[in-house]
Amino acid sequence: MSGERALIDFITGQRWFGAKTREVIHARTVDTATLREEEPRLELRLIEVGFDTGTHETYQLLTDDRFDALADPRNVRELVHMIRGGRNLPAGDGVVEFGTVEGIAGLGQELRDARAIGTEQSNTSIVFDEELILKVFRRLEAGVNPELEMLRFLTERGFENIAQLAGWYAYAGRPMDATLGILQRFVAGGEDGWELALATVPTDPQQIVQRLRRLGEVTGAMHTLLGGDPTDPAFCPEEASTESLGLLTASVDDEIEAVFLDLPAGVSELEPIRGRGEEARERLRMLTQVGDLGRVIRHHGDFHLGQTLWADGDWTILDFEGEPARALPERRRKRSPLRDVAGLLRSCAYVQSAISLRGGRVPEGWERDAREAFLDGYRSTVDPRLVPSGSSFDRLLAVFELEKAVYELRYELNNRPDWVRIPVAGLARMLEQEWPS
Amino acid sequence: MTDSGHWFERNPNWFKTAVFYEIHLRGFYDGNDDGSGDFRGATDKLDYLQEIGVDCIWLLPFYPSPLRDGGYDISDFYGIHPDYGTIDDFHFFVDQAHQRGLRVIADLVMNHTSSDHPWFQASRTDPTGPYGDWYVWGDDDTRWGEARIIFLDTEPSNWTWDPIRGQYYWHRFFSHQPDLNYDNPDVQEQMLNVLRFWLDLGLDGFRLDAVPYLYERDGTNGENLPETHEFLRRVRAEVDARYADRVLLAEANQWPEDVVAYFGNGDECHMAFHFPVMPRMFMGIRREDALPMTEILARTPAIPESTQWGLFLRNHDELTLEMVTDEERDYMYEEYAKDPRMKLNLGIRRRLAPLLDNGRPEIELMHAILFSLPGSPVLYYGDEIGMGDNIYLGDRDGVRTPMQWTGDRNGGFSRADFAQLYLPPQMDPVYGYQSVNVEAQLRQPNSLLRWLRRLIALRKQHPVFGLGTYESLRPDNPRVLAHIRVYEDDVILCVHNLARSAQAVELDLSRWEGMSPEEMFGRTRFPRIGELPYLLTLGPRGFFWFQLRKDDPE
Repeated sequence: MSGERALIDFITGQRWFGAKTREVIHARTVDTATLREEEPRLELRLIEVGFDTGTHETYQLLTDDRFDALADPRNVRELVHMIRGGRNLPAGDGVVEFGTVEGIAGLGQELRDARAIGTEQSNTSIVFDEELILKVFRRLEAGVNPELEMLRFLTERGFENIAQLAGWYAYAGRPMDATLGILQRFVAGGEDGWELALATVPTDPQQIVQRLRRLGEVTGAMHTLLGGDPTDPAFCPEEASTESLGLLTASVDDEIEAVFLDLPAGVSELEPIRGRGEEARERLRMLTQVGDLGRVIRHHGDFHLGQTLWADGDWTILDFEGEPARALPERRRKRSPLRDVAGLLRSCAYVQSAISLRGGRVPEGWERDAREAFLDGYRSTVDPRLVPSGSSFDRLLAVFELEKAVYELRYELNNRPDWVRIPVAGLARMLEQEWPS
Repeated sequence: MTDSGHWFERNPNWFKTAVFYEIHLRGFYDGNDDGSGDFRGATDKLDYLQEIGVDCIWLLPFYPSPLRDGGYDISDFYGIHPDYGTIDDFHFFVDQAHQRGLRVIADLVMNHTSSDHPWFQASRTDPTGPYGDWYVWGDDDTRWGEARIIFLDTEPSNWTWDPIRGQYYWHRFFSHQPDLNYDNPDVQEQMLNVLRFWLDLGLDGFRLDAVPYLYERDGTNGENLPETHEFLRRVRAEVDARYADRVLLAEANQWPEDVVAYFGNGDECHMAFHFPVMPRMFMGIRREDALPMTEILARTPAIPESTQWGLFLRNHDELTLEMVTDEERDYMYEEYAKDPRMKLNLGIRRRLAPLLDNGRPEIELMHAILFSLPGSPVLYYGDEIGMGDNIYLGDRDGVRTPMQWTGDRNGGFSRADFAQLYLPPQMDPVYGYQSVNVEAQLRQPNSLLRWLRRLIALRKQHPVFGLGTYESLRPDNPRVLAHIRVYEDDVILCVHNLARSAQAVELDLSRWEGMSPEEMFGRTRFPRIGELPYLLTLGPRGFFWFQLRKDDPE
């Protein structure tokens, strides 16, 4: 293994490295567990990446004679066996725990074929025999990863439209306790909702509209379930407090201010919104004149079409980690389920923009139809006590759409500069949208 | 692994970069409509605390107590005052706080108990029984005359006659608060038990109230005795041996050279309040003079690497003036306590906003100074929205009125009848809950609360404020307080104008020649630092925080 510089270069070059705008000054191993003694020795390492201001982040690496041992299917198989074995493995300063969930663990016994799937923002995922998928979290934070909590909750209650949880592994030790990865059912033959939309909107726009209605139903049913257990403190629905609207306003407002403050100079794609931060903040103030807020519940947290699969005539919802740029306690926070609804509606806007930007043709009124279908489906299954009533529903939804667009803008600026024009178009449209005062 | 470890990255120095927030439970939020705040209510407000960005909650005493001294008169160290809830409510509160990334420390009074405590009742009625020796008894009231009387306004002596036992008992505070006898090993053992009890329930540490007075010795003033430090080392060793990442915060209202002893060699308390710097901040802003602050900081000895000062502007007590000269005290009374009702003991019983005549630039400037000095800031509930005080309420109740959440009935603090509230909320036109409340300030982008939230967020991005070195720049202009903080590659320049008028200042920044200051709130680049002194102009009560950057923007 080469030195610290090489380690820094490796980590900072990965898509899952979240702090691309920060200056890294050190990278060191804070704990190691040996997964396989025989050569090439397979090790699980927690790496602390330090920044110039003195803060740090922690990442998970699996190494053999290279930095990324996950590239070799044999190594990944080893990890799955350990999850199934359910035994603890000592690390230098703690322990790696492995566990399974009853019923699903039998899947993928053979583990013949392993393949990595597309590079993800926060993790590395490997599929076995088109039956099981192992998701290795890269950036680690203290506490239970919301994906583990959410999948466990939904799996235990028999929710069909997810990839059920089969097992997990976690670290508990001196540096922190953290979820390291999860093993879940792989939805074979599924079509990614985002790709599906891009492909079918120009050719068969009504088909995807119908499927979005179904997605609305699934989402509403998921929220009803997530907000339906008063006995589990981590999930029980709560009435919105008197200041919760103020807290929402304050956080979205500060995010708007910060993102506009950070707009890089000389990026022509930003022109439609440059200098319009105050306008966006005024719009927020207008929209937050909401009376009823409904309830706050645990929710998906980063809901968009790229987190869905269409398979066997129905939707599967994936990726319950929450927005990767937010801290874990924030990702676990209960908020209005309309936050997820807004995420999906923004995703429809992404579809529209992405097709247009690539020179494709979106039928007139498609996005409006898609929104209405999704919302119709959603309202037909969601527990009405969870969401605001009347015009408060629309306003709160618009607040979350604004929040999401601001988040998208920051994300695209940091990660995918070519995509910046999509949230820019979204924000510009929101600013111009008429709104009954 | 405890609950606490479960939700936090292990960091024995977490308190060095933390922002603390002091809660008076009775006044924070009423969760059961009885007119008094409680744990259930405070649990409902954790989202608020998470959202404003504080790291650690400090709770005033919540133990069973006759409440003759705001709960600092404890009658059972192992329980919860029924007004505040149950042990289960406490446990749920701590767990919910941890899940939100918030830690919780609590006040603990080791020096004395309430006279209602069963230990004292046993001690006075059965002098030869098991508790006979748990308090400090004497046949006359002349011993240890060198020890000062702290509550001058109410207590004529540190001794009070107990007609039941027929002896005098020793008390450094109110006569209903007899001092425990730390020469008795059983007392020491019992107090360690108390600490373990709460740490086992997940508490992240203690603010140790009145810690200098544990022992009494002939020929001394009974403060900061070697025996006291020895006991604190025992407490620390016990905590370190069994618990990770907990904190002991000493309340020792003493001069810096005496307070540093409470850090030991990193083997006593993790933190101690820096009492003397606080009145000097108020003095400095009134006199438009940085000297009182820079002087006391220069006089403050270095402290061990693993320890930290706790800094504050106001707290639940009077603004204490014990650690100033007589002349300085007269000045402070003259400037800040024009009405004699505002005085209490050796201090001023007012809140931050009224002390600063509700001046927004002054309140911001004081927070900027507080956040830029070496130490961890401790905020007092309600000061983040600029709450007022009520000097017509007795003792320190005037600064302990209900938190103002909304403009609704009872300020959103309680749904009980007004007459049932433990204290009336502020209702005057300037500071009353209809004009000053959390809900309104959250929604106003330019409110004090929103400003403070940004200040906290900025501080959290820069560990330098908690971990960095501090160097005063001593500018020629005495109205400007300027210092440099450095940690790893982060170099921060903080410049504060204490004057009511605009000021110019020349700073010797030659060591950072070639770097460019970037203002930290608006990210504006200022001219590159050259060979000549760096000239800055500041508006009235204005301040700048700069990050010194190596590279020039393209």
